Amino acid sequence: MRVKINGQEIEAAAGETILEAARRHDIPIPTLCYHAAFGGQGHCRLCLVEVAAQGDKRLVASCTYPITAEIEVSTSTPLIERLRGDIIRLLYRQAPGSELMQDLAREYGCLDEFITEDNREQERCILCRLCVNACTALGASAISAVLRGVDKKIATPYDEASEACLGCGACAHICPTGAIPLQDEGGNRTIWKRDFELLPCEVCGRPFITPEQRDYLIARQDDLDTGLLCDDCRRTRVARQMEPFR
Amino acid sequence: MAQKAIDPAVRILVCCGTGCIANGGLEVLAALRSGLAHRNDMEVESSDSALVTGCHGLCAQGPFVRILPQDITYCRVQAKDVEEIIAKTLEGGTLIKRLLFRDSQRKEFISCRQDIDFYRHQHKIALRNVGEINPDSLDEYMERGGYQALRKALEDMSPDQVIAEVTRSGLRGRGGGGFPTGRKWLSCAATADSPRYIVCNGDEGDPGAFMDESMMEGDPHSILEGMIICAYAIGASRGFIYVRDEYENSVRRLEKAIKDARARGFLGTDILGRSLDFDIEIVRGGGAFVCGEETALLRSIEGEAGEPRDKYIFPSEKGLWGQPTVINNVETWVNIPVIIVHGADSFASVGTESSKGTKVFSVVGKVLHTGLVEVPMGTTLRRIIFDIGGGVPRRRKFKAVQTGGPSGGCIPESGLDMPVDFDSLRQAGSMMGSGGMIVMDDRTCMVEIARYYTNFLAGESCGKCTPCREGLRSLLEVLTRICHGQGNPGDLDRLEEIGETMRLASLCGLGRTAANPVLSTLRYFRDEYRAHISQKRCPAGVCPELTELYIDAVLCNGCTLCVKYCPTRAISGQVRQVHVIDREKCIRCGECVSRCNQDAVLVR
Repeated sequence: MRVKINGQEIEAAAGETILEAARRHDIPIPTLCYHAAFGGQGHCRLCLVEVAAQGDKRLVASCTYPITAEIEVSTSTPLIERLRGDIIRLLYRQAPGSELMQDLAREYGCLDEFITEDNREQERCILCRLCVNACTALGASAISAVLRGVDKKIATPYDEASEACLGCGACAHICPTGAIPLQDEGGNRTIWKRDFELLPCEVCGRPFITPEQRDYLIARQDDLDTGLLCDDCRRTRVARQMEPFR
Repeated sequence: MAQKAIDPAVRILVCCGTGCIANGGLEVLAALRSGLAHRNDMEVESSDSALVTGCHGLCAQGPFVRILPQDITYCRVQAKDVEEIIAKTLEGGTLIKRLLFRDSQRKEFISCRQDIDFYRHQHKIALRNVGEINPDSLDEYMERGGYQALRKALEDMSPDQVIAEVTRSGLRGRGGGGFPTGRKWLSCAATADSPRYIVCNGDEGDPGAFMDESMMEGDPHSILEGMIICAYAIGASRGFIYVRDEYENSVRRLEKAIKDARARGFLGTDILGRSLDFDIEIVRGGGAFVCGEETALLRSIEGEAGEPRDKYIFPSEKGLWGQPTVINNVETWVNIPVIIVHGADSFASVGTESSKGTKVFSVVGKVLHTGLVEVPMGTTLRRIIFDIGGGVPRRRKFKAVQTGGPSGGCIPESGLDMPVDFDSLRQAGSMMGSGGMIVMDDRTCMVEIARYYTNFLAGESCGKCTPCREGLRSLLEVLTRICHGQGNPGDLDRLEEIGETMRLASLCGLGRTAANPVLSTLRYFRDEYRAHISQKRCPAGVCPELTELYIDAVLCNGCTLCVKYCPTRAISGQVRQVHVIDREKCIRCGECVSRCNQDAVLVR
């Protein structure tokens, strides 16, 4: 299916989103809530583009708009840039503590915004929900987006330490703004109000995995034959195993 | 004392809509039934002598008792009046004046319903049975032509013909979007996928709206019939009615209607002996306003959190559980049997070029005859609010009407002669929504109104997309500042900027319209915003920090009425002497303003 993005003709698969097609052809569209692992969510609305089809022009979220016809897309117009600037400005007000948002606000020229609400200075979460997606994809589903409207937040059920949490830290790892506190100290990990023990790597002795995550992986029959190895040691061992094939 | 005879043909209809129940309608019903029990002149059982009906519409004057065939309507009836009604009216054939409707403009009492202005200007299609039949009786529904449309569709028409008829009628979705119903059905029927589903959206969440409720409570079979006809047209096997959890009466009557329809072969397998299998179940909502948005509603039925999704692919292609789904509002469904029985042309002869048929509105707020109104599309706001609604009470002046629920806009007096349809309301910066109409008088601060609705929406947005969630947060922050007298000159431009971003960038219909209250009041009442910001003054005298009330020494006649009603004893003054308000004690509640007969309490 042939699609024109910013005047450039590209080939796209039917049903593919505009964002995916554009990224494959190195056409940049800014996003905050998109991750290739989960596909488009349509939350942040930063990826707005203009679609022209059958003489009609409309603004759509490129991460969720499926290509089903030969369309013309503009990824940047003065209106789109203004809207993106405003979205950054609004999100920066929501999460002024996030370095990413500070940088974006500087880039879009809205850092001068005066933050009036109390207790927001430290807020970093932009509610992109990548953490929720990661947790769901892993199969734990310990966190979710709770409440409605301006009270929306990411939390464990009733904000209490969750039995479902494995302490794997995937949520903190994927978070683009560093909004999820994960503390590793003296062989212990604290995340989502819960304390976990950390087991050491069989090779280097560095504490790296919670017993809950280990058991979960075994139950899922993931390959743990290589033993309990941290990422670094596992990589080293795999590289060594590959040596003869070079 | 010997009993006098009662006309055996008499039918007594008692309004048991939610409003009348709250005002004692059920007690009136019980009193009538016990009063008429064991009378040998009554042809029927006592339980059939006084009949339960749905909402009569003029809720401000309920509970209603309507006596047929004489067509006498009694208003504001209480159980203690029943004995007198039986003795004087049913036995004696005389009217009880104090229970009649009083037309305050013409200064006369009216007994016949059709002579009351509120009813005379209405045109009932969707509400054709509401208030006329016992909603729990399938027989009464059928006596008034019920399920004839279904029979006609199944016996005389092909599925394609049914869709073509609905398309030709010009019916547009009554839930707010105004999408052509026929086109929706057609696109669903054109998909290759099955199973297909049918959903009735009864999640009426707008504060002050009760159109859908009245239909679910007063005429449930019409909804079922509309859905069954659609099931035949698009080949669906399962239907769902999503009802707001608070609507207990609706749920109970719909459940009864579904049970009766099943027993009579209108639902289930081989409907009317044809090879049509279709059944309906009720899903109760969890009370989220956003679940009125169709994609959020579908998520909610699936058991997920009610959050909308981008609608680049319509539910008619991928809806419930990813299957083709036709979702229509209660009022849309109720119109379907009429279109099938009387034909598309008859339906399309009512209304305007772009909006056909009638629309039901719930007219509330500062209006004399609060209630349920059905008028042809294209009727002016003036007719609805003044001729039918009786205008603004307490000698106050009309200021604005908000249409379309919390995310609708406020239309000022200059817009009163606008014919109401989907497109004109949108052009005026508001929307049809599901048909809520809130009338405001000159004691309303438009900035505070905008703040109020923005606050409502800030809590009821799903919170998924940035423009809606963060836009509402920022709007609310700015509006609250302005109401507290801390507005800045740049605020108005910023409000408009945020509103524009929300309108263009938000994910769903809620977000795209959520700035309407702010944008429409900025458009029509900008001076009021300016007064709050630059003069630190609330012209309507509502925002406490920006209001000072005083009593005009010339106008005050010293009647002491305001002294009596002031909750903080801030007013002092002797009889026939000018009264004075103590600024320190005054809480600016405005009670004195509304009580004063001389209009002597003024806002500085």
